[in-house]
Amino acid sequence: MVTFELNGKPYSFDGDAMTPLLWAIREGAGLTGSKFGCGVGACGACTVHLNGEAVRSCIIAVGNVADMKVTTIEGLSDDLGHPLQKAWIAEDVPQCGYCQSGMIMSAAALLSQIPAPSDEQIDEYMTNLCRCATYQRIRKAIHTAAKN
Amino acid sequence: MPTLDSMDRRGFLKTGLLVAGCLVLPISLRNADAQETSDGTAPGGMLEITDWIRIGPDGTTVLGLSQAEVGQGVWTGLPQVLADEMDADWNRVRVEFVTDRDAYRTAAAHEKLQQFVGGSTSVTMFYLRLRIAGAQARLAFLQAAAGRWGVAASECHTQRGQVLHAGSQRSLSYAELITEAARIPLEPNPPLKSNAQQNLVNHWLPKLDTPQKCNGSALFGIDVKVPGMLYGTIRTAPTLDGRPLKVNNQDTISERPGVHAVVMTKDVVIVVADSFWIAKQASEALNVEWDLGDTSISSAAIDAEVQAALDAKDSPLALRQGDPQKVFEKASKVIQADYHVPYIVHAPMEPVNATVHVRQGEVEVWGPIQGQDLVRWTLGGMFKVSAEKVIVNTTFLGGSFGRKYVPDFVVHAAVASAAVGKPVKVIRTREDDLRHGFYRPNVSGRLKAVLDKDGNIAALHARLAGQSLYYQIKRANFDSNGGWDETMVDGIYNAAYQLPNLQVESTNVNQNIPVSFMRSVGSTGSVFMYESFISELADTVGVEQAEFRRRMLQHDPISLNVIDRTLKRANWTSPAADGLFRGFAFSMYVGRADAYRSYAAVVAEVRIQPNGRFKVERLVCGVDCGRPINQNLISSMVEGSMGFALTNTFKSKITFDGGAVVQGNFPDYRLLFLREMPQVEVEIIDSERPPQGLGEITMPPVAPAVAQALYRATKIRLRSLPLPGTLAEAQAYAKAQSGT
Repeated sequence: MVTFELNGKPYSFDGDAMTPLLWAIREGAGLTGSKFGCGVGACGACTVHLNGEAVRSCIIAVGNVADMKVTTIEGLSDDLGHPLQKAWIAEDVPQCGYCQSGMIMSAAALLSQIPAPSDEQIDEYMTNLCRCATYQRIRKAIHTAAKN
Repeated sequence: MPTLDSMDRRGFLKTGLLVAGCLVLPISLRNADAQETSDGTAPGGMLEITDWIRIGPDGTTVLGLSQAEVGQGVWTGLPQVLADEMDADWNRVRVEFVTDRDAYRTAAAHEKLQQFVGGSTSVTMFYLRLRIAGAQARLAFLQAAAGRWGVAASECHTQRGQVLHAGSQRSLSYAELITEAARIPLEPNPPLKSNAQQNLVNHWLPKLDTPQKCNGSALFGIDVKVPGMLYGTIRTAPTLDGRPLKVNNQDTISERPGVHAVVMTKDVVIVVADSFWIAKQASEALNVEWDLGDTSISSAAIDAEVQAALDAKDSPLALRQGDPQKVFEKASKVIQADYHVPYIVHAPMEPVNATVHVRQGEVEVWGPIQGQDLVRWTLGGMFKVSAEKVIVNTTFLGGSFGRKYVPDFVVHAAVASAAVGKPVKVIRTREDDLRHGFYRPNVSGRLKAVLDKDGNIAALHARLAGQSLYYQIKRANFDSNGGWDETMVDGIYNAAYQLPNLQVESTNVNQNIPVSFMRSVGSTGSVFMYESFISELADTVGVEQAEFRRRMLQHDPISLNVIDRTLKRANWTSPAADGLFRGFAFSMYVGRADAYRSYAAVVAEVRIQPNGRFKVERLVCGVDCGRPINQNLISSMVEGSMGFALTNTFKSKITFDGGAVVQGNFPDYRLLFLREMPQVEVEIIDSERPPQGLGEITMPPVAPAVAQALYRATKIRLRSLPLPGTLAEAQAYAKAQSGT
């Protein structure tokens, strides 16, 4: 049994402590906004916040997050109220949409470190993959959110 | 232990699909009993007026969407067409996926009528059909209101979900009229709006599915939850062609806590468990004896065979215009170049997955399905139930690019469900997605030309050779063509250019590799070769790139307009900024069976960075895809297609060794990063032609435009995809070429 804070509430996972955090969140807690894309931490579709830092939840064993704070896209805001969600809607970013939860969570961690990132800082930080290549609007949305 | 006899990975797409061309346009005139929803209930008091429209008492307007949303924007674009024609209130529209009626089926390129997404045909196929449905509904509301008021329908008009009678200043909402309107017989030939009367089509509107894709609530196949559901994953053979013979530790693995079953099929072993992770751990612990099948598949052997086909005396002929042979025989100088394009794979971000519940006499499926009827036929055949007894629930698709039309992953989930008697969701790992996929085949080409004294092409000869897609999946088409594959030479045999003498050849170098449709199909290879070669010819005679092409397009004002508008947008006639180098390419994309014609031109601007890396800084893409439905959707699609095409251009390559695919995950099958995305500008032509295809048509010119820009920057002709990413790699490529 591993207990951690998930989107502000305590959550206990009673499976194997080696289960990746992603699957504990998706199948254990039933929050499916965080996605499985590669299982090796390469694509970022599974990005969540661990004590405020963006991490790739597919390569972190749930046993390692005991007593820590985990935030998923579902916990980012109520009613799409986070500035990045508003900006994502304003710029109409998603195509298939599968990578976007991870993108928004990565971008949120970026803005918490650097409130108004330059293009170069966005380039360096945003290493999540989008097969539809919505990158142009992602960049724009991050700038839009930074302004607001 | 059930086995799966219907599973033949190479035969998936060829079973029973080819029938005589069926050109029925299913327009509903409403069944007597079809005034409620398909299952006979009317949730929330919703009443149905056509196959496409249901309206609730609160004014909620549910518009049916038959085409799977894979990121291309049909969730917004097609309902927009319907809502416009019926004068719905766009703010009260809700979109729902609909299935299993003839109204939702189309016949692509001589195939059976079926519900599917493919070939960039959704808008072309459904534009008129949805307008008719919308106009039928609108007319029924007009007649219902006129009846209620006792006035002539011609005195009334509609606006935003209401019928108005100007004479008496009365109005009724569609919701107030739905009970009567739903009883009025639909007019088979309703009057349609003129372009000027359309108030949603040809507008920049936001996507309706964006909010739910920004908070994690959009439901993808992998997110499906069904009561009592178990999870599964597959263990695949170490080779492409391998098959399981025996599981040596079946009992041990089956007894693991949380494991429900170990199921051997004809091609894989499936583990069913309480969670994906338990299934995956168990699957990795399986000790399987494999028949490895064909272990001779290797890229080196394939490349040698393709080279031999290019060098061979003869090849099947795709097209001959004029007398090219005579020109080549008399020519004092022939320009020649060879090009190469590798196998690549779709790699959608959402790995293939499906949830299936096999019950007595029926099968229910939930998932990212691109071909609903192919799933019905496949599972109906497997479980000996009629296709109507296969219920298909389509979710959003986390990308597809053609991959999720092939229902191999649905079959795995169905076998797993049958084995345990419960619904099972089978999720494939990324490694199995890449190593056991359906590949876009390789192709190489040898292009030859003779130039006349004015610097125009006197004769051109293109021979392409590679594994034929159609030989494997559309054999009848391949055979009736005379043994050549139209997808291999797309954009060459049917190019917009007018040449006096042209010969196009296509040789199938068959391989034991499963292949399928992938975004833009063969044209990402063939157009790279053709446009690169045209650029080389233009440089040879010293004619500016666009002008050289314009001379071959004097008969074609649409092509000329796209080229001119693109160049203007890119400021082509002004010199590029310091350190930037430009390239240009153009292609007309002909939909399968001439379903549509769309046009795209691309200007690429590249720079060699101080560290020697190539950087594409800007891409300008002009596109004529017929009358624009929604400029936001077009722009979004084209921006993304530029990035997708750059992945093809610089990164994608699947190689084979010992019968297996070498690449296993994103670290070695790389996709474009955000930092590599150029600035993209989209020039949309306000065409008066009906809406045409878009999703695939802007990709082909990208690689040749970039290669031409890199030639300007490096003086090296880069004729093989993927292109080198650095100057050093380009120089190494040039050295290797000069050595051979």
